[in-house]
Amino acid sequence: MSVQPAVSVPERFPRLPDAQPSPRRARLPFSAWHLLLAPVAAIMLVPLVWMVIVSLETRQQATSFPPQLIPSSIHLGNYSAAWNAVPFGQFFVNSLIYSLATVAGNLLFCSLAAYAFARIRFFGREVLFVVLLATLMVPFQVILIPTFLIVKKLGLVDTLGGLIMPNLCSAFGIFMLRQFFRTLPIELEEAARIDGTSRLGILFKIVLPLSLPALATLGIIQFMWSWNDFLWPLIIIDSQKHAPLQLGLSQLQGAHFTQWNLLMAGTVMSQIPMLAVFLLAQRWFIRSVAFTGIK
Amino acid sequence: MPGVTLEAVTKRFAGGAVAVDELSLEIADGEFMILVGSSGCGKTTALRMIAGLETPTSGTIQIGDRVVNEVSARDRDIAMVFQNYALYPHMTVARNLGYPLRQRRMPRGEVARRVSEVAEMLGLEELMKRRPGQLSGGQRQRVAMGRALVREPEVFLLDEPLSNLDAKLRVQMRAALKRLHGRLGVTTVYVTHDQVEAMTLGDRIAVISDGKLQQLGAPQEVYDRPANVFVAGFIGSPPMNLLRGRVRDGSAVAGDLVVPVPGVPDGDVYVGVRPESLTPPRNGMPSLGFEVAVVEPLGDEVIVHGFVGAELVGVSADEGDAALVAANGHRAEAVACLPPRDRPAEGSTIQLGVEPEEVHLFDAETGLAIARG
Amino acid sequence: MSAHSATGIAVHRRPSLLKRLVASDHLAGWVFVAPAVILIAVFAIIPIGWSLLLSLQANNLIAPAHYVGLANYRALTKDAAFRSAIGHTVVYTVIFVPVSVAGALALAVALNRKIRGIRFYRLAVFVPLVTSTVATGIIFLWLLDPTFGLVNYVLHLVGIPQQQFLQDPNQALYCIVAMTVWSWLGFDVIIYLAALQGIPGDLLEASEMDGAGKWSTFRSIVLPLLGPATLFIVVWSTINALQLFDEIYVTTRGGPLESTTVIVYYLYQQAFQFFNGGYGAAIAYVLFVAILIVTLLQLWVGRRRVYYTS
Repeated sequence: MSVQPAVSVPERFPRLPDAQPSPRRARLPFSAWHLLLAPVAAIMLVPLVWMVIVSLETRQQATSFPPQLIPSSIHLGNYSAAWNAVPFGQFFVNSLIYSLATVAGNLLFCSLAAYAFARIRFFGREVLFVVLLATLMVPFQVILIPTFLIVKKLGLVDTLGGLIMPNLCSAFGIFMLRQFFRTLPIELEEAARIDGTSRLGILFKIVLPLSLPALATLGIIQFMWSWNDFLWPLIIIDSQKHAPLQLGLSQLQGAHFTQWNLLMAGTVMSQIPMLAVFLLAQRWFIRSVAFTGIK
Repeated sequence: MPGVTLEAVTKRFAGGAVAVDELSLEIADGEFMILVGSSGCGKTTALRMIAGLETPTSGTIQIGDRVVNEVSARDRDIAMVFQNYALYPHMTVARNLGYPLRQRRMPRGEVARRVSEVAEMLGLEELMKRRPGQLSGGQRQRVAMGRALVREPEVFLLDEPLSNLDAKLRVQMRAALKRLHGRLGVTTVYVTHDQVEAMTLGDRIAVISDGKLQQLGAPQEVYDRPANVFVAGFIGSPPMNLLRGRVRDGSAVAGDLVVPVPGVPDGDVYVGVRPESLTPPRNGMPSLGFEVAVVEPLGDEVIVHGFVGAELVGVSADEGDAALVAANGHRAEAVACLPPRDRPAEGSTIQLGVEPEEVHLFDAETGLAIARG
Repeated sequence: MSAHSATGIAVHRRPSLLKRLVASDHLAGWVFVAPAVILIAVFAIIPIGWSLLLSLQANNLIAPAHYVGLANYRALTKDAAFRSAIGHTVVYTVIFVPVSVAGALALAVALNRKIRGIRFYRLAVFVPLVTSTVATGIIFLWLLDPTFGLVNYVLHLVGIPQQQFLQDPNQALYCIVAMTVWSWLGFDVIIYLAALQGIPGDLLEASEMDGAGKWSTFRSIVLPLLGPATLFIVVWSTINALQLFDEIYVTTRGGPLESTTVIVYYLYQQAFQFFNGGYGAAIAYVLFVAILIVTLLQLWVGRRRVYYTS
């Protein structure tokens, strides 16, 4: 008999081919696929590159024909002008609060519920789970109007609370974490019970530390969703004081729709945080997206 | 140190399957009790009920003189070693060892002292900063033992703790376990399907099949006087030869084997002969013809597979039920263990004898051992 | 919890009902799920029912509502603007879904190999995914600007006359398709790439040893094994296409000449601009049922045609 592996935590996340540089980086070959990939990459990148270029031009340069592909001079002034045209700093803070609060809420509430659904046998569990799952099928637009009315009844229209509350916990997150928790070896939890750990202790000391990949995935998906959310803020927020970034950007667009250089500077600023997160955590990001497809 | 008492404990799972059936067992203070049986026989469920991981459907479980049916696992003062060790993968060895103590809010200094004590006892000092993923199978096993020992529990439960180790390590750990128990004297319940572990480790062994206790006793006693056909076929390796036969006028007959059994009433029986009881016949010994098929020399002995002229009763211990299987007609497979100097040629037919007192008789209907005068 | 009787045999007494309830799994389970259940009940389950109720009311979201039965739904059947919104949504979906699925498949296959610059190519395809819908809208508005836009400049270079793009009722919807394909393609590509990674290499080798060429291996091995991914992408893209809103709001606001007024934009106008809450709820329910039917239809067709391993 050979030595068998002891309890191991399964890796349930799809891995994309390693995008990290290998230590000894052999020169990869050229191939005919470049003829397809190069133009596609150009099409994908041109809009973003063009956004940056225009954001550095003067209004005259931006509205010249033919367009100035390489600006003769660089105008960083557009950025400060955009920053001052609308309360951009406030938008950033609002978006950050909105995103972080919904990420925190989802991680906490979904973990608690998912653990109960995965491991605790309680009366009504199956029915409740099916009901929660069924809400996933309902498009947001269907519940948009009553949700607005409920938030209005709670007196939370045009507040960050009203923005955040409906997005604190998602059935998707519960489902995803439950699936993951069920793949963890149950002996670990039994051992912890015998070692004197309470249910809550098992969740926080054993299950969650072993579920970091799943938690990171849920966090990233939720963060991306909240950061880019537009429809709900559009409905619930009236004042600039409480507008998150995307709504603020659209307000900037409404107010300065002819000043393309300024508008582009604002757009660049609004996209930088997400882009930075993406570039830093590219692998996690891609895994998270891939995970949504492999349920 | 308290003992553990099971009284008519039954576990019926949601689907209706009965895993443990009216199991009663008294485990004395400091005793090393083995629960042995084939997989699925209910031994692990019994252990998990003692641990508090399963709730009995009926019956009571006592630790010391406290009924613990309603006591949660964390309040039972027991420690358990899991088959796959269940080490917390995200904690270092040191943190794994200290975990049960920290959970009980033990002061830091005391935790450190006990952890290093256990680490020293099990030779884990070098591994303290590693995580379970960086350990070998044997090392993991020792950490799992350490995590259970560090608690200084009242009862120590082990669920097939050696089954994931290779053969050599298993022999070493078996001896280590025995020494450890001798030193600490903790009441221990040990589940295994391996009869070598059962024979060597236990003060007493409880043979379980189909959720029912088949026999309880000291290992030698169970080996010498198996209570029924199941135990006879399960304990001992290679297993006992069981032949269909009958008793007439104080003699048991199975094929050409005739054994005097004075005082045993007439009737159908199973005649059991251990492979190691078969020897070249000496004067006046009951004997039977043995057609040699395969010879396996092991160095210190040879295992001889062949056929005897009787109907075989197979006990399919591997399937975990005591169903009796009659083999092909009047020519039955049998096994004998002989000293190397008596090694027969393959294809030959030899006579093998057995001392009458080493022949076991079982009632053909009930499977129970028949007492001999 | 035990007591000794006179004979010294332990008597097992069950603890009180309350004590057992507190210690039981039932209570623990409900305590754990309570926050999630309350939040989802208040902000999803109740609104689903309420929405149905609203759709049977005349409700301007401010003054008290009154029950009007199926009047809203009856009005919808006669509403020409709603009918044309459905038409635009269908046209959009029918173009968007096949284009993005086929494009993503081709791109994923191209990106699933080790060639020079592959990291850059992947990055280029994924980046639009993290660009917000609002930003995407603003960028494309400018790219497609009839007078100063980059696209018209490029067309000008190859001798094609100036186009109106988003300002032309005959082109606007197709421009929206192009824009949304650009922004969503990366998502589909990632899912296809993950699925391609899941195809065991020995299957492809076996197929090649059986004498199949690259193209026929792709058709007879790879494509069928991508079935589940394709089904998911089709369903997901369709649902998203039917719910198109953000990009329309930022770029055309439903114009020009209502040519890009899709269902959700019409819903938004009715509910939050004209304050016909009940009418908006009825539109939402029609959309919901439509999505449900389309999704189930796709899954039904898919189940018969998609091969799932394990």
